[in-house]
Amino acid sequence: MRIAVCAPQVPFVRGGAEIFADTLVAELRGRGHETELVTVPFKWYPGTRVLTQAFLWRLLDLEESDGRPIDLVVATKFPSYAVRHPNKRVWLLHQFRQAYELDRTELGQFGESAADRALRRKVQELDRVALGEARRLFATSRNVADRLERATGLQPELMPHPPQELHYRCDGYGDFVLSVNRLDRAKRIDLLLEAAALAPSLNVVIVGDGPDRERLEALAHERGLDGRARFAGVVDEDELARLYATCLAVFYAPVDEDFGMVPYEAFLSEKPVVTTTDAGGPLEIVSDRSTGLVCAPEPAELARAVEFLRGHPDDVRAYGRAGKAIAEQVTWDRCIERLLA
Amino acid sequence: MKVAYFSPMPPERSGIADYSELLLPALRRRVDIAVVRRGRKRSPRGSGVCLYHVGNNPEAHGWIVEALRRRPGVVVLHDFVLHHLVAGLTIGRGDGHGYLDAMEREGGVVGRLIGHGVLDKRIPPLWESRPEEYHLAGEVLSLATGLIVHSRYVEARARAAGFEGPVWRVPHPAWPVPELTRVEVEGAPLFGAFGNLNASKRLPQLLEAFARVRRAHPGARLLLVGATSPGFDLDRRLQRLGLDGEGLVREGYVEEDRLWSLIAACDAVVSLRAPTMGETSGVAVRALSLGKPLVVSDVGWFSELPGSVALKVPPDGAEADTLAAALSLLALDEDARRAMGEAALAHARREHDVERVAELYASALEQAAGGEAVREAVLAEVAEAAAAAGIDASSEEAGELAHRLAEVRIAE
Repeated sequence: MRIAVCAPQVPFVRGGAEIFADTLVAELRGRGHETELVTVPFKWYPGTRVLTQAFLWRLLDLEESDGRPIDLVVATKFPSYAVRHPNKRVWLLHQFRQAYELDRTELGQFGESAADRALRRKVQELDRVALGEARRLFATSRNVADRLERATGLQPELMPHPPQELHYRCDGYGDFVLSVNRLDRAKRIDLLLEAAALAPSLNVVIVGDGPDRERLEALAHERGLDGRARFAGVVDEDELARLYATCLAVFYAPVDEDFGMVPYEAFLSEKPVVTTTDAGGPLEIVSDRSTGLVCAPEPAELARAVEFLRGHPDDVRAYGRAGKAIAEQVTWDRCIERLLA
Repeated sequence: MKVAYFSPMPPERSGIADYSELLLPALRRRVDIAVVRRGRKRSPRGSGVCLYHVGNNPEAHGWIVEALRRRPGVVVLHDFVLHHLVAGLTIGRGDGHGYLDAMEREGGVVGRLIGHGVLDKRIPPLWESRPEEYHLAGEVLSLATGLIVHSRYVEARARAAGFEGPVWRVPHPAWPVPELTRVEVEGAPLFGAFGNLNASKRLPQLLEAFARVRRAHPGARLLLVGATSPGFDLDRRLQRLGLDGEGLVREGYVEEDRLWSLIAACDAVVSLRAPTMGETSGVAVRALSLGKPLVVSDVGWFSELPGSVALKVPPDGAEADTLAAALSLLALDEDARRAMGEAALAHARREHDVERVAELYASALEQAAGGEAVREAVLAEVAEAAAAAGIDASSEEAGELAHRLAEVRIAE
């Protein structure tokens, strides 16, 4: 088959969505499908730019390329699913969250003016039309599926995707908690730093970069965490696999996250995940005292959770192994078979 | 944003009053609503948008149309055919010329002449005999800045009538199921039909079909609930079909609680009508909420129900045959009834959930308030980019841009 995988691109920003799209292309190619990544830069501000930039996808003609038909398109997230194709499939990572659950929060984008309120609704209307056209509609997590159904009435099939390919292994359980995230406010790394300030034995390694880095580094310094909190920045795949392999546990607690590959990566490294009760998607696989710990989104609670793990190595191992059994169920073979069926 | 809300309200006995009573608490959680007192024709100070509920009953909606004439706004079109409303607002108030103008607006000179025939009592009142031929929705459509409709059918008819503004399709909300009193009504199975008994509810066809079903399924019963419309000779029809005995269970008009209990007692609910005025059926929505399979006419809103919840009967020459086949299928196949019932329940929860309906209302109202500014900003940016790329406003490419913008409802 000739397949176009459609994903937006935010120039100079790379995160889970980009890794997912690249991996999907590679996996499809590996199964003999002629596959291409189609991407268009996306800027969602100011004002109506969110719509005009989304509209660019609508103008693309992907029914054929160079005189040969494209059999299928797979769109991944807003606004790539606005693309037109008679055999459009959407494997939804997320909608434009500022128009939904992030509206009227500090992470929101739309103000209270009549024009801003209407703009938000127009984004939702576009979603209803564009997602409603999909021949098959998948969501990466129950959280994403529920949000979609609430907003549009559409009922996607649930299909989590495997994490990126790394040399996953467990080389033991070290003395640090690992965070792997883009550094922005929604990922709530500050919660981990505040917990470290309360737990003198807690060391943290923070992988990733982003607009919140400066503030987080200043916070770590302010709390006297120099030497206990290490900002590793963006690391290569070998180093990432090594950090997963040697950490005690992985912290992952964004606000109402869609899905997130980090828990799967932690599980494949036999590491428990520490998350919070309001984390959304991760709670579908992180169960308290089964595959990790789930605590209230408070520094003291988080500190207590990590202290518990430090004092209970058998539990840590058991949680990690239970997680691994879950993560191993999600394979590209199964996903692609469903996606193309 | 403050919304001036024009609607009949309880204790007024009107389906739309019940509708508003159900919708308002959920809508108020999303939008600042000022319900306008009955008869008041001005919108409250500071209202950004006016919302007018328009149905076909002149008693309930006459004052609302008058308010709409003062200030255009978003219209909730509960029926598409407004002939009865317009007749009440014109002839009913001694304004024969107004009726003739409405008829001419829609039907040209021929329409005006037919209107004269009605005024001169040479032909029966059209709103009773064949209202679907002249919908008379023209004035309301011309005053509406946007429409909220319950079905694709009404949307299509409004478009066919020339309405060019935004249309939002919002399902009818489902009432929460009340505590039910168990009602014992004999029948294996028991079919129920609710509402006024008359020809437009396809009662002649239903009785004929049911009489046939009874021959193969003597345990089946038909529960008819509602008043008999004047001129409809139910008894004679029953007698002719041999249904005056134990096959039929009759109840007149019933209060809400008993209505729910009776629907709950049925194995399937029959909700037929033709012609359709573009209305939804409150009874059908209640039946879905109770997980009852439906048998409906294949018209208007009813056609748009999923096949998994409703058997659809076209109102054609074979109507009684098709209806008998549908009833027989349900009488024979308990598994089919159960599967349809489960699908009905799921459909009611998904499609007619009042919170979802309120969210769609809020979306429509927010777009009505600020949508034009968004539209203009988007069009300006797209037009500027197109012009910079050398695309002329009258070119085919510009036409495609407009088409694509409308397709995703960015700018219609």
